[in-house]
Amino acid sequence: MFKRELKINLKNFIIWASILVGLFLVVFLIYPSIINSENMEMIDEMMALFPEEVLKAFNMDISSIDSAFGWLKTEGFVFVLLLTGIYSGILGSNILLKEESDKTIEYLNSVPVTRSDIVLSRIFSGLFYIVLLIVTIGAFNYIGLAVSGDFDRKSYLLLSVTPLFSSIVIFSICLFLSTFTHKTKKTLGISLGLVFVSYFLNVLSEMGESTKFLKYISVFTLADIRNVIVDVAINPLMVVISIGITAIFLILTWIRYEKKELV
Amino acid sequence: MEKNILEIQNLTKYYGKVLGVENLSLKLQEGEIFGFIGPNGAGKSTTIRSIMNLINKTSGRVLIDNEEFNKDDKAIKEKIGYLPSEIHLYDDLTVKEMLDYHENFYKRDIHGRRMELVKRLELDEKKKIEDLSLGNLKKLGIVLAFMHEPKILILDEPTSGLDPIMQNVFYDLLKEERAKGNTVFYSTHILTEVSKICDRVGIIKNGQLIKVEKVEELSKKSLTFVTVTSKQAQEIINDLNVNTVSEDGNTIKFGNHMPHDELIKKLSNYTIDRILIEEATLEDMFLHYYK
Repeated sequence: MFKRELKINLKNFIIWASILVGLFLVVFLIYPSIINSENMEMIDEMMALFPEEVLKAFNMDISSIDSAFGWLKTEGFVFVLLLTGIYSGILGSNILLKEESDKTIEYLNSVPVTRSDIVLSRIFSGLFYIVLLIVTIGAFNYIGLAVSGDFDRKSYLLLSVTPLFSSIVIFSICLFLSTFTHKTKKTLGISLGLVFVSYFLNVLSEMGESTKFLKYISVFTLADIRNVIVDVAINPLMVVISIGITAIFLILTWIRYEKKELV
Repeated sequence: MEKNILEIQNLTKYYGKVLGVENLSLKLQEGEIFGFIGPNGAGKSTTIRSIMNLINKTSGRVLIDNEEFNKDDKAIKEKIGYLPSEIHLYDDLTVKEMLDYHENFYKRDIHGRRMELVKRLELDEKKKIEDLSLGNLKKLGIVLAFMHEPKILILDEPTSGLDPIMQNVFYDLLKEERAKGNTVFYSTHILTEVSKICDRVGIIKNGQLIKVEKVEELSKKSLTFVTVTSKQAQEIINDLNVNTVSEDGNTIKFGNHMPHDELIKKLSNYTIDRILIEEATLEDMFLHYYK
């Protein structure tokens, strides 16, 4: 059953990995031509026009975009965070619910498997692909950066891992929400909303003291890229909270699925 | 002593305040084909889904082979072959891949039986599931339900979509299962099927099991249908206190349990233009219970 789950979700993984790899491939191909002293002057002038809050939202106040790694630290990882978040949300909404939505659950329920078997195979398959997506992008960018020139390897490795902490939480929340319905189309909008609203709250929380509290209700606070760029370290508290929230929602999913009416 | 293979004890299911089935109790014995009949909405699917633990029972228990069947009981699931009324399988797979997948769930080697069933039902293993016609999908569903040689088969409208030749192959398969001592729970609303292959029949109406009887006994019941044409039709209805099946002007049709001698004596008090007394078919019996 786990092998079949991997097979079913492979196609979507390839599409998402291709989007991310394609995006960064373009960056690595065109960045050297953008980064020259004449353009940089123009970019610096343009940057000066942006309010500090906007620069903060893209980490441009603590990192320069004068290199490919610089771009990655600013806009690049924002894309990685958002896209891995969306991928995890869609995966969480679909992976368990698909059998009910497609009505194949009537068959699966009749063969000698337990509901725990069904839930666990979906959880492991989902987490496998989230990790694989992050590793794939991480490895691709590592090669891209190595070819482009010198960069801080430790800082990069820590940054590459960071999206995992928001993604697994999004996956587990969406998986849990999917146990309240029988149709995937009902949960898809909710999961995408969760990702975008959460990201928006995270951006707002960076904009000033009065909005700082919003970070406590955003999943993306757990993927604290700013902290990794500044301190070159991952805050262990975020890791613990991320794993804790994920574990809670996975357990809640399992409890709800055990009691759920499948048709 | 007869051994019970499937036992439903006081099954009740409410969907919120809406009744699905109420206090349904039933025992199926080893080696019998049990017909479960009732129209749409009577509670057939609710009963089957409760047996299969697809939905939560409001109260009651289901025993398979004298053990309570709970949703995570793998050993009991191995004893069950299930064919839902609407078959939904994995469209991305071919028939062969689907059957291979099914084989993986069972520890025993069931490949031989699979090949035999595929051959008898003339199923093309190379076809993709999404390209199968309704009839071929049903045949695949039958192979999946039968191939692990279950002790009990739970079949919901199994012949819908099958052509007459395949229906006969399917009936032969059922008879072979019965001969092996296996049990079949056969939900349908096609009465000719029940009279053709079932040993006993249970009639469900408005969520309640109203009758369980041997098919041969049901056919032998003294129910006849009487059609009378008379200007005194309404008086006959009132005086004899009969429940009419149909009324058309002066012509009435009613089910009759009285001995025929008594009936004719009573009718002799009226002016009768025409009279027809018919033996009730199984279908008439069924409709009679639903009046």
